Amino acid sequence: MSWVTDFAPERDDLDSCVTCGLCLPFCPTFRLTGDETASPRGRLAAILAVARGEQPVDERFDEMMSFCLQCRACEPPCPSMVPYGKIQERVRAELLVQRPSLRRFLRRLVLGRGLASPTMLRTAGIGVAVAQRLGLTRLVGGPTGRSLRALRRVSLPLRPTRGRSWEPRGTPVGTVALFSGCVMDVWFTPVHEALVDVLRVAGYRVVAPASQVCCGALAAHDGAAFDAVRMAAHNVRAFAEVDLVVVDAAGCGAHLRDYGHWVDGGAELAAKTVDATVLVARLLDDGALPELEGDRGEVAVQDPCHLRHAQRIVEEPRRVLRAAGYVPVEIDDLGLCCGAAGIYGLSYPDTSAELGRRKAAQVRDSGASVVASANPGCELQLRGHLDVGIEVRHPIELYRDALLDELTA
Amino acid sequence: MDLVAELESVLGSERVRAHPLDRRVFAKDAGVKTGPVAAIVFPETAEETASCVRIAAEAGIPVVPRGAGTGLAGGAVPVEPALLVVMTRMNRIFEVDEQGRTAWVGPGVINLELSKQLASTGLHFAPDPSSQQSCTIGGNVGTNAGGPHCLAEGTTVAHILAVELVTVDGEIVVVGAEYPDPIGLDLRAVIVGSEGTLGIVTRVLVKLTENPPAVGTLLLGFPTVDAAAATVSEIIASGLVPAALEMMDRPMVRAVENFVHAGYPTDAAAVLLAEVAGHPEGVRAEAEMIERIARSHGATSVRTAADDAERALLWKGRKSAFGAIAQSAPDYYLHDTVVPRTRLVEVLDAIYEIAARHGISLLNVFHAGDGNLHPLVSFDASRPGELDRVLAAADEMVRVSVEAGGTLSGEHGIGLEKRDLMGLVFSADDLDAQARLREAFDPTGRMNPGKVLPEGSRCFDRAAVSGGTGR
Repeated sequence: MSWVTDFAPERDDLDSCVTCGLCLPFCPTFRLTGDETASPRGRLAAILAVARGEQPVDERFDEMMSFCLQCRACEPPCPSMVPYGKIQERVRAELLVQRPSLRRFLRRLVLGRGLASPTMLRTAGIGVAVAQRLGLTRLVGGPTGRSLRALRRVSLPLRPTRGRSWEPRGTPVGTVALFSGCVMDVWFTPVHEALVDVLRVAGYRVVAPASQVCCGALAAHDGAAFDAVRMAAHNVRAFAEVDLVVVDAAGCGAHLRDYGHWVDGGAELAAKTVDATVLVARLLDDGALPELEGDRGEVAVQDPCHLRHAQRIVEEPRRVLRAAGYVPVEIDDLGLCCGAAGIYGLSYPDTSAELGRRKAAQVRDSGASVVASANPGCELQLRGHLDVGIEVRHPIELYRDALLDELTA
Repeated sequence: MDLVAELESVLGSERVRAHPLDRRVFAKDAGVKTGPVAAIVFPETAEETASCVRIAAEAGIPVVPRGAGTGLAGGAVPVEPALLVVMTRMNRIFEVDEQGRTAWVGPGVINLELSKQLASTGLHFAPDPSSQQSCTIGGNVGTNAGGPHCLAEGTTVAHILAVELVTVDGEIVVVGAEYPDPIGLDLRAVIVGSEGTLGIVTRVLVKLTENPPAVGTLLLGFPTVDAAAATVSEIIASGLVPAALEMMDRPMVRAVENFVHAGYPTDAAAVLLAEVAGHPEGVRAEAEMIERIARSHGATSVRTAADDAERALLWKGRKSAFGAIAQSAPDYYLHDTVVPRTRLVEVLDAIYEIAARHGISLLNVFHAGDGNLHPLVSFDASRPGELDRVLAAADEMVRVSVEAGGTLSGEHGIGLEKRDLMGLVFSADDLDAQARLREAFDPTGRMNPGKVLPEGSRCFDRAAVSGGTGR
């Protein structure tokens, strides 16, 4: 018995690895351990052994796979272009079925069902807002507590974007749909609002379709494949009428752009989805948005893995930051994962924290007092490991602040 | 106590593995062969390494050292159940002497990482194998690794001043010294390239090389492979020593271009990637000379890298070549023969002919400047009989190279892969002498057995001397 689900890894994908080993130094878990079994090539060898029926899906296999951050840093350096992220998602789907556990069941409930439910999200949003006001977040220990305390202050009442629309300032040039997401919409509303402000200045009408749901990335990464398919199908319908979809969370963007693997019509949605920094950079190039004067100092750039590795977006966030009057500072030439990796910290708190500390040290060494990160998970991880005094912002927020300064001046 | 418990008592359970899946994952390197692994250990010091070697001795199993596992000749693949000693955690750069241009480093330091760490000093470690972003210094020492820039700078052996070695009986010794010419027999060149058969290297004193003040990189396209090969021969004959001189044929260029999008000319039958380094004036003159020679042989395109970014992109294409092969088939077999540079054209023709005759798909990418050929065969090992055909063709290609006055391996090592071909270049007496040297270091034959030297290299049966006579 090797695989048992319809989501099993495809043999052609596995065979595309020629075991050259060029991926090894780019893998954060290999860098920490020096261990082949914690490397992309080693994991692929293990997966292939299972696919051939030569090794069972046992506890050790589960461990080897689960230790992977799914950061996809191994994909850009791979000359054979192995679709590692896709393979890993499919392995997780097998693990969910073949290695059932209470923890897996609960995770599936939260990631596969909870995140897809606007009611649940609203409840969680209000819950956190109240906890923040009563100081209850201090009582939670471990990585969950650290992330909770690293959250921005959640507004009350909540201001979700789902179902809303905004008219352009000045001459209308077109309509763009905002991908609201799940936690982004209740816990990171200010990022959406900043993006909407910027797009309106550029002449866009912005709509956030009411029927959209969570993209399903966290469900897919954890093996809740049926839930991921359902959410993807839902979003394909929700965005069927628009030509352009903008997303300001790297994790959601990467997953939306992989929708072709998941559902019929997914490739069409993927093709019209664009990361916020890419869209704003394009608008800057076209002269639809201004290059802002002024010297705002240095900003450390943290590349979210699902922006840099999964979507290969590197230049655009820097372009946006320069246009906002900042000098981008590089902190890590390999772009190693910060350790957030979705809910990885729950399973591997020590590894997650070690990577978080390393990333925070790189930010500190840069000397910048602001760090730009275009993904909610990374934002929490950075703030959780950085000292007060270093601000963590989305690049679009930094541009919006500079833009509004200029417009009101 | 059993082997694993004994090892765990020294290293702790985290750094000892024996689960069948771990043993499976560690059973191969980047080549095509797999072997049996008894257990895997990750020592962090020379002392721990020595303990592992002693414990393996008590258990009566051999010891095989391994770095990043990017080797192509099976040097880190055991031939009988062995203790695999993985050196990747010994990855500290201990001290850098900028004035003396040397550094003591752990064997697990990644080749490119060393040069990156040294960036601010204006120095680098010269050997630059294609796998340099992944491979370790220990592996470079083991195989006497080369790389494109070894044309001018020499292979690894020219860049190692001393090594710390754990011997078969668990002793820690230092071979070589910080000055270039140690007294007594110079054993460094014996250790470098010995593929772990003489001991396990636990620290390395490397020589560092100054970054050149100016570099010129040219990408030359040719209408035929012969024209490119003739250009190489003439460049070398002119007395010019380029920093690097690399050739790729059309199938290889197409596979690589599909991955890097560097603008390689995919219509050319062959391309040369040439690099000259030194003072700006000299670089300009040498680049012009190479361009003139190339044009006289009918070069159809000449592109000069405008800046470091373009240079890096062109090199990325060259260094991704082996991995890019999977676009055409799931497995590859990579050769590593050397031929005299004056006979490049005829040997290449013969190699293409062998591939055609066996009906196998061949791509060529190699260090043209020093005649180090890397014919690369892409195939699907899951098809019955395919591996046999590939190996039969491989055997012929090696023979053609040796008959032309060349040799078995330029830089990948002998390992398992070319072990049984050693007889093509060495007489029985030569092999016996090498086997006796090896015995001087390891009388028990437990350090990476079955590598480099073929069975029966020793002129009498080892069993006869196990009682202690004959030495």
